[in-house]
Amino acid sequence: MLKKLLKYEWKDTKKLLLPMNLVIILITIVGCILLSTRIFDTSTGFVLATLLLVLYLLSIIAFSFITLIYIYVRFYKNLFTAEGYLMHTLPVTRTQLFHSKLIVGYFWFFLNSLLTALSTGALGAAAGFHTATTEMVDEVNISFAELFGCSPVVFLCWGLVTLIVCSLSSVLMGYVSILLGQRMEKNKLAAAVGFYFGIYMVIQIVSSIAMMLPIIIEIMSDTNEEAALNFMTDSLSLIFPSMCIFYLVLSIVFYSLCRALINRKVNLD
Amino acid sequence: MTLLECKNLTKKYGNYTALNDMSFQIDGGHIIGLLGPNGSGKTTLIKLIAGLLEPTAGAVYVKEEPIGPASKSVISYLPDHSYLNGNMRVQEIIDFFADFYEDFDSIRAYDMMAKLQINPRQKLKTLSKGTQEKVQLILVMSRHAALYILDEPLAGVDPAARDYILETILSNYDEDASLLISTHLISDIENILDEVIFIQDGRLHTQALVDELREQDHKSIDTIFREVFKC
Repeated sequence: MLKKLLKYEWKDTKKLLLPMNLVIILITIVGCILLSTRIFDTSTGFVLATLLLVLYLLSIIAFSFITLIYIYVRFYKNLFTAEGYLMHTLPVTRTQLFHSKLIVGYFWFFLNSLLTALSTGALGAAAGFHTATTEMVDEVNISFAELFGCSPVVFLCWGLVTLIVCSLSSVLMGYVSILLGQRMEKNKLAAAVGFYFGIYMVIQIVSSIAMMLPIIIEIMSDTNEEAALNFMTDSLSLIFPSMCIFYLVLSIVFYSLCRALINRKVNLD
Repeated sequence: MTLLECKNLTKKYGNYTALNDMSFQIDGGHIIGLLGPNGSGKTTLIKLIAGLLEPTAGAVYVKEEPIGPASKSVISYLPDHSYLNGNMRVQEIIDFFADFYEDFDSIRAYDMMAKLQINPRQKLKTLSKGTQEKVQLILVMSRHAALYILDEPLAGVDPAARDYILETILSNYDEDASLLISTHLISDIENILDEVIFIQDGRLHTQALVDELREQDHKSIDTIFREVFKC
């Protein structure tokens, strides 16, 4: 039955999300072609390039935002409004319902995040294509090694792993907020939004403290300049691994909470 | 084998008790009227049986199984409002039902749609409200289910549509199956009922065979209802 649920989830979500992600690819290709020419080298071209860059950034942000909101709204609408009367009376378990939403929702959000990262990377590479030299590339490699303690390729790999884990926790955070909202007697949607911002703020506070605490301790301790610089490099090289662990733990907590909430007390108004 | 059994079923919303310690059984092959005034707990009871609500206490069993995928595979449920995605085409909805319900009869569904001149390629939201309701009824009655639960199928429709709905219900349900119909338009369905369940203030007031009740009181079910639930 999960296969069937996935089939219909995919079918419904692709109507909006597939064209949107294709637009990102199209924008990137057009952008790369334009940047590989010299049409922006004039002063008018520079203004045009700036305008296009702003437009591009706004579109990319909007696409990510729309993807995430759409995934959340679909989860809520399909399971907890009138449509929920059909979904919850299908001969499937609630866990299967949840997994179908999670798998497809996560796929789309991860795809969107990946395309966004690849798009900005491709456009950045295309913009520097004419000016970059072998020496500059070597310099970047050295600077990366000094600052992050690894090569740009390793850095990007860590970035990808972080993206995989962060996308999962983002989707689950919305789902857990909606499920917590369903526990309320009244104003379930408003409660879900409240839970979302509440959880978001708690995560931001905890992650900020976790990141800042070692730095503050190091600054307060009496160390020399070289030791401080080494400490900064070590800290930066640990950013991605620690983010991965943090968001992985968060995802596990959210997932367990979602499973418990959807299986226990779901009451449709 | 008992088809449906509700054991000490209680449902509370905060301090409000919608259903209070309700117990009854339903066997196969009956048409049962679930009757009661507004707010008596009919829809709450139906939602508990359909698995849309979790009971505060007690339990529901369908064919001796608790509510879950197995019970949902033999219950065909029609809610009292639209529950289909309006953006789907009628044929997509039929495919959806056929995919999930093994007992769904697509040929029967298409046949009934054709009789109503509903184009299966049309999106649900482009149909009139009345036609959308008929599509829902057709989908529910195109299943060879063991228990059909229809929540207010006659509410808000004109007399001609009521006739169509009753005819559709009666001509499509399997004889071994049972029909649980919630309504307060008793006079319209009185003649087709085998059994009635009266609910008052979330409690079971009466469960009896229609013929026995009529003979006992020498009155129609509609009259008995009006007397029992007189304001």
